[in-house]
Amino acid sequence: MLNPPDRAFEGLSREVHLVADREGKVQWLDDRARRALEIEVGSSLREIVARGAEEKLAGLLAATDDSANTTWELVVCVGKTQIVLAVRMHVLPGDLLALSGSLVPDDYGTALAQLGSALSEMAGLHRETDRQQRELLRRHEELLRLNRERRENDKAVVALHAEIDQKDGSLRAASDVKVRLIANVTHELRTPLNSILGLTKLLLSRADGELTAEQETQLSFIKQSTEALYALVDDLLDVSKLEAGEASLHVTKLPGVELMAALRGMMRPLVTTDAVELVVEEPRDQVVLETDDGKVAQILRNLVSNALKFTDEGEVRVSLAACGDGEASFEVSDTGVGIPPGDIDRVFEEFFQVDHPRQRHLRGTGLGLAVSRHLAERLGGSLTVRSELGKGSTFTLRIPTKHPEVTEMDALSERSREVAPGAQPILVVEDDRQTLFLYEKYLRGSGFHVLPARSVDEARAMMEKIRPCAIVLDVMLDGEATWSFLRDLKSNPRTQDIPALVVTVTKGEEKARALGADEFLVKPMDRDWLLKKLRSLARVRDVRTVLVVDDDDVARYLVRKQLEGSEFLIIEASGGEEGIHLARTAHPDVMFLDFVMPGMSAFDVIDELKRDPATRSIPIIIHTSKSLADEERKRLEQEASAILSKQSLSREIAISRIREVLQQAGIGKNGGDKRDRTNE
Amino acid sequence: MTLAPVPSPVSSSEIARRYLEAQLAGDRRAALRVVDEGRAAGLEVSDIHLRVVQPAQREVGRLWQENRITVAQEHLATSISQLVLARLYPDLPREAANGKSAIVACVDGEHHDLGARIGADFLEMAGFDVRLLGANVPLKSLLQMVTEVRPHVVGLSASLTYHVPALELAVRGLRELPIAPFNVVVGGHVLEVEPDLGERLGVDVVGTDAGAMVAHVRRILSC
Repeated sequence: MLNPPDRAFEGLSREVHLVADREGKVQWLDDRARRALEIEVGSSLREIVARGAEEKLAGLLAATDDSANTTWELVVCVGKTQIVLAVRMHVLPGDLLALSGSLVPDDYGTALAQLGSALSEMAGLHRETDRQQRELLRRHEELLRLNRERRENDKAVVALHAEIDQKDGSLRAASDVKVRLIANVTHELRTPLNSILGLTKLLLSRADGELTAEQETQLSFIKQSTEALYALVDDLLDVSKLEAGEASLHVTKLPGVELMAALRGMMRPLVTTDAVELVVEEPRDQVVLETDDGKVAQILRNLVSNALKFTDEGEVRVSLAACGDGEASFEVSDTGVGIPPGDIDRVFEEFFQVDHPRQRHLRGTGLGLAVSRHLAERLGGSLTVRSELGKGSTFTLRIPTKHPEVTEMDALSERSREVAPGAQPILVVEDDRQTLFLYEKYLRGSGFHVLPARSVDEARAMMEKIRPCAIVLDVMLDGEATWSFLRDLKSNPRTQDIPALVVTVTKGEEKARALGADEFLVKPMDRDWLLKKLRSLARVRDVRTVLVVDDDDVARYLVRKQLEGSEFLIIEASGGEEGIHLARTAHPDVMFLDFVMPGMSAFDVIDELKRDPATRSIPIIIHTSKSLADEERKRLEQEASAILSKQSLSREIAISRIREVLQQAGIGKNGGDKRDRTNE
Repeated sequence: MTLAPVPSPVSSSEIARRYLEAQLAGDRRAALRVVDEGRAAGLEVSDIHLRVVQPAQREVGRLWQENRITVAQEHLATSISQLVLARLYPDLPREAANGKSAIVACVDGEHHDLGARIGADFLEMAGFDVRLLGANVPLKSLLQMVTEVRPHVVGLSASLTYHVPALELAVRGLRELPIAPFNVVVGGHVLEVEPDLGERLGVDVVGTDAGAMVAHVRRILSC
């Protein structure tokens, strides 16, 4: 039987035994207690108990009952480490306490503490997450609020815009009324002024008898006043026209040298004193102007007459120089009184006059510079002034050498020359360039292509070359000429099915309809309306008629079969005579013509068709099985649009040839012509 | 017309008793259920803090002192209270932000952070922007955080007299920070043991009543 000595457990046991009195003073202890707690007999347990556990120790020391079954957990400090001690107690005689303590393993205590702090940290993390979530929510709400505010702002801006539009509309209307009123009044004023002026001149010429000196003086005053009034009315008329944007443009191409020479002659009479010299310089650079030279002259005349008015001695000088970027600048400088700095911004205002003693006896209309500036803007340029009081002023007119509208028109014509594949050509007859630009803008990307014609003659010339799928006609253009163009268009069997859309500023719908207009619109034009109408009108032409002229039933049958199910409608003629008849009555878009037919040769048929304006422009495809002699081929190449051999006839070739020919004639439908061509 | 169900009258002490029971049994589900019932019966969140969790927690401490429960039980009970406070946190009835910020921390070595947590929750409810640094915050970290955040007030919590030296160090460290002056308040169980501590450290003391603490902080910040 194993009987180990007690000390075999010395190092293993975690039990400590000690005896203490009620004050906690140690009376006895074993070795393990001495080592583990680092105390001796006489030490007080109160000295080693940890902070916070003092009360608990007091409880233990005061306990009366034998608590063999109660374990007291105490925390004691040994050195710097805290030890948890599970103590059981037994009261000994003499009121001493036998204490048996068990050292709670360190790792057990540490683990508890670690768990506690881990949990506390997790709670902290949870708290932080929640806090951040709330912050996110707050920001989200802030964003929502900002968004809401922004939307409200947007609404306010929209409302404001609507209001501005409305105001703009009424201002525009008011301005229109003003302009029209001025135009009418000035026109009405001119008539009686003319009479007064004429009669005064008549009286002054003594045609009706001699005048007394007094009468003559009075009549001269009447004449002067009337002339002044007349000038004012003229200026007013100019202003109103310019404001209404009605001043039409007459562009000519003119070298600067010639313009300056003309100006020199024109302005000489304006000089009334020897003290002032008018110098119109030779142009400093070679400049060719393509603009409204009349308006340039009008501006310069205004400037020169203004300069002369304020110059007592010295000179008034007019010069012209190129200034790069396709612009030219005219300068009119004087050695006159100059403009006070405070007035310099106002000299271009209507009816503004510099307050100057000279001004008071030289009554002008106060419109000259205003008109000039308007004119300069109409020319795409600007009019500016710099001046030094007492030394003189220099007015600078800067304009593009080529008027912007001309530049744009050139580009438009350039573009119109190349009909995009598949685009439907629309002939627009309209004299105003800007309106033409508008049409082009409106129809850009719509599948329609604007062919601009600025006169009826241009339109007629264009109709010779190309067959538009609709015509837009501005009736104000050339008055009667336009109506007769419409009449001709609609009475010509060849063109009467081309839809005509009449646009005008005046009434006249009945007349237009009577002459055959398909649609009528009073300006201003609306893009959507225009597109809708053009689309519905142009659709009529979607079916193309092909006339097949061949004496051979089988050949006609073959063509018919090949084109079956295509977009083409086939009509047939079994001989030349019948073919010509059908060409006149059925207006085919293209004709397949057999080269060899009994009785009438293809050349006869062609000659006959070309003789008649109604059939002249029908494209002809020569369809033959005969190998052509060089001479025949040469002639056919001139008069027919294409030559197709019967042997090579296939559906693809037939369709692609027809499309190609229609394309050349300007009435082609789109549809992969290029692809077809590569198939040949 | 239907009336909202009238909560049956319930005393908070009854709820606290049942809560303690669940805590000591280590039954966290039961504890949460008791809290939910208390709220359903009309107790405010702040009532749960001050009249359920806090007294129950104090009772746990007393029971340990009286050797009625073990350290393990105490830890378990405390962890249940942590869970309850975490659960209540998102639902705190918060007043609109008052633009003031606060940092709340337990001093170095202090592991009892429930008091600090309750204090922080009360400040949040009053509209403060609160950073709770939690238990056992090393002095260096505390000073660094205060320097960064520049709070209007710093709240320090200590439960045992054992932590008074750490508290003194913390107050001195805060006072010596080279930043604009701010308020320091000290709270916690330690003040019940050493009531003249505030005077000695030259700081405001707010005891263990979170409601009174908030009222005091509002007064000194005039908000």
